[in-house]
Amino acid sequence: MMEFLSDTVVLSRIQFAVTAIFHMLWPVLTTGMAIYLVIVEGLWLKTRNPDYYYHARFWSKLYILNFGIGVSTGIPMGFQFGTNWAPFSEAVGNFFGSIIGFEASWAFMLEAAFLGIMVFGWERVNPAIHYMSTILVAFGANLSTFWILTANSWMQTPAGGEMIDGKFVVYDYFKAILNPFMAVSISHMFLATLETSLFVIGGITAWYILNKRHEAFFSIAFRIVLIAAIAIAPLQIYVGHLSAEQVYHRQPAKLAAMEAQWNTIPAGQSANWSIVALPNEKAQKNDLEIVIPNGLGYILELKKNLSAPVLGLKEWKYEDRPHLVGLIYYSFRVMVAIGFFLAGLMLITTLQWIRGKLSAENITQQRWLMRAWIFAAPLGYIAVESGWIVRCVGRQPWTVYGLVRTADSASHLPASNVLTSLTGFVVVYSLLFFTTLYFGSRIIRRGPRFDLPIPGSVQTEPVLDTTPGKFIPDERPAEAQQ
Amino acid sequence: MQTLTYFLPQVWFGILALFLFLYVMLDGFDLGVGILSLTSSTEERRSILMTSLSNIWDANETWLILMGGGLFGAFPLAYGTILNALYIPIFLMIFGFIFRGVAFEFREQAKRKLFWNLAFGGGSFLAALGQGFALGGVLAGIKVDDAGHFIGTTWDWLNFPSIVVALTLIQGYVLIGSTYLIWKTSGELQATHYKTAKLAAVTTLIGAILITISTPVFYQYARNRLFHQPQVYIFALIPLLGILLIWLLLRSLDRKQERAPFVWTILIFLLTFIGLALVVFPFIIPTQITIYEAAADPSALVFMLIFIGGLIPVMLFYNIYQYAVFRGKVTGGKYGE
Repeated sequence: MMEFLSDTVVLSRIQFAVTAIFHMLWPVLTTGMAIYLVIVEGLWLKTRNPDYYYHARFWSKLYILNFGIGVSTGIPMGFQFGTNWAPFSEAVGNFFGSIIGFEASWAFMLEAAFLGIMVFGWERVNPAIHYMSTILVAFGANLSTFWILTANSWMQTPAGGEMIDGKFVVYDYFKAILNPFMAVSISHMFLATLETSLFVIGGITAWYILNKRHEAFFSIAFRIVLIAAIAIAPLQIYVGHLSAEQVYHRQPAKLAAMEAQWNTIPAGQSANWSIVALPNEKAQKNDLEIVIPNGLGYILELKKNLSAPVLGLKEWKYEDRPHLVGLIYYSFRVMVAIGFFLAGLMLITTLQWIRGKLSAENITQQRWLMRAWIFAAPLGYIAVESGWIVRCVGRQPWTVYGLVRTADSASHLPASNVLTSLTGFVVVYSLLFFTTLYFGSRIIRRGPRFDLPIPGSVQTEPVLDTTPGKFIPDERPAEAQQ
Repeated sequence: MQTLTYFLPQVWFGILALFLFLYVMLDGFDLGVGILSLTSSTEERRSILMTSLSNIWDANETWLILMGGGLFGAFPLAYGTILNALYIPIFLMIFGFIFRGVAFEFREQAKRKLFWNLAFGGGSFLAALGQGFALGGVLAGIKVDDAGHFIGTTWDWLNFPSIVVALTLIQGYVLIGSTYLIWKTSGELQATHYKTAKLAAVTTLIGAILITISTPVFYQYARNRLFHQPQVYIFALIPLLGILLIWLLLRSLDRKQERAPFVWTILIFLLTFIGLALVVFPFIIPTQITIYEAAADPSALVFMLIFIGGLIPVMLFYNIYQYAVFRGKVTGGKYGE
């Protein structure tokens, strides 16, 4: 049972999975939240309403916390390609290595350099330069997503060259970058970071409103979140569907695992979509299944009968197909369910908004709705992690689909070395996970500070203003105005 | 085509050397300040030390990430083999980085700071130690088979010369950290770091002398390289210049100059770096694998040269801009917000 403890390949895989699953928690929030910060700072510069400025300052605290941990936990990812996956690095370095280099030079350096100005520069640079820094940080973060997803998509659908003597030789770099999965995968992840961040911000906002703390102030954030969610939540379902369709066409073994489909369904027949199943890898069948009749046909082609066959797992030899079928099957369903739940929540909230129930006066009465938003806050993370499990466990037994096997990718290391570093990661990353929750919740419980000086206010407004100014009502509750 | 396969790996060796040097110089003083924070007498002092780094450590560390990414793309064989061989030092460094990085965020928030103080100082020390052993391990040579794959054992990197290299690197980081603090602080704190700078200058000098002697004694390849006409003159020049620079550094410390010590230290680092590069070149893993053997496809090198090489001036520009925005002495000890 414990024989995997002496298997370097398995241990290296677990180590990569553990570091990736933990690491992802932080940048998923920061890449999305960076765009939110661009929006509120932009609104502040446009309207000069100080509330937007305090929003920018408040949320950037959570941003910084997550960014710092994200950087620290991300560094081991790149190094592991060398330490634990040296044969992989050598085989695909020509392309994969270049892309990792691009991520560092194009994206990460930009983000890291301008983050300093964004966080500490409020008093040092003028608002326009500060805003440019915020934009560049957001741009850099999303450019990181772009390059990482390009590299991963290429591992899913390698293009632009071929394997010669165990090394991937690139004929056309642009073809390799624009590999078949690239565009949809990047869009899917981009929307995932946005959606996760929106529902985290929305959930925290809902918590304040539910507890009647600065409810007018936070209802501003709530409406920004809702407007963004109206656009993003349905779009994500659509892009997710496109992504699944690509898997169906390009990685049929992964699709079979996602659907726990053991036998091929020939063209012309109808196919069911199962909601619950107990996949049994030994018997190569599902011990139990609850299905929606004809569902799969409608999902894949919007019609009852398939025009092309859906291949079953038995089409591949045991060693050529993904394992952990149950994990892949349920991860996929969890992701899909969360996608629909978040879209549904957005829909109900929008209805309430149209009915005028979200105004500053009566938003606090929407107790069940606010509770639903708090409940939704962590769901985006779970969906993202599940999606990546489907993507990367489903790609097995390949690291580069059809070209490089996982078993041939791992460094020859004593298992004890990997076990030691793996234990270190589990301990340290768990510690970081809980401390982030602890300190993050403390930032939230303390709430925004309304005593911060507003940059530029001294220079732009003369001390004795003789012209009558525009009246800006202070919507904040009494305790905030003091 | 023949010239291309010689020219391109050399260009990339140069670019990676630049990235590595920028890293050692910039994150070097970060790590040095981190190690020095272990000796801080008060929380307030420690806060000022961390404030002096808060906005730059991230960008500074990125030069290493960039070097790693560049090495991966340009010399994939070397990337795999070196990191595989140095498994333990690399993970020492990585865990050190994690502790140092998160300490910035968590110490500011925490009421009880002791654990995060240790994470910051200890993490910096651990990262420096891992880097020192990694450097020592590469200089000692890595056992590889005909295809260039690592075939040594877990602890190959640990030997007398690599311990000397590791200790000297830590001293060097403390030196550059001290001179950085002389530049960025004032008053009592500055006075303290005139002292630590002087001490570190002496210990670094001792370490450098030990390395200069022990490298040719222990390693045949270095002997072959060094004691040949006419290189021997160039190599003899490096220690002489080094002693001159240390003298200039000590003099500037005595005269209580503020910026000069930092500049002299950077020049000492640069000189050491050039010396090491000359001993190693054209090998990327000494005497086993040359840069030509480890290099990626010429097309990959050209592709990266355009899209990474072309960006170097831009990256330098906005890093310098960042330093310009935060120029001047560190005031106060609030680095969170």
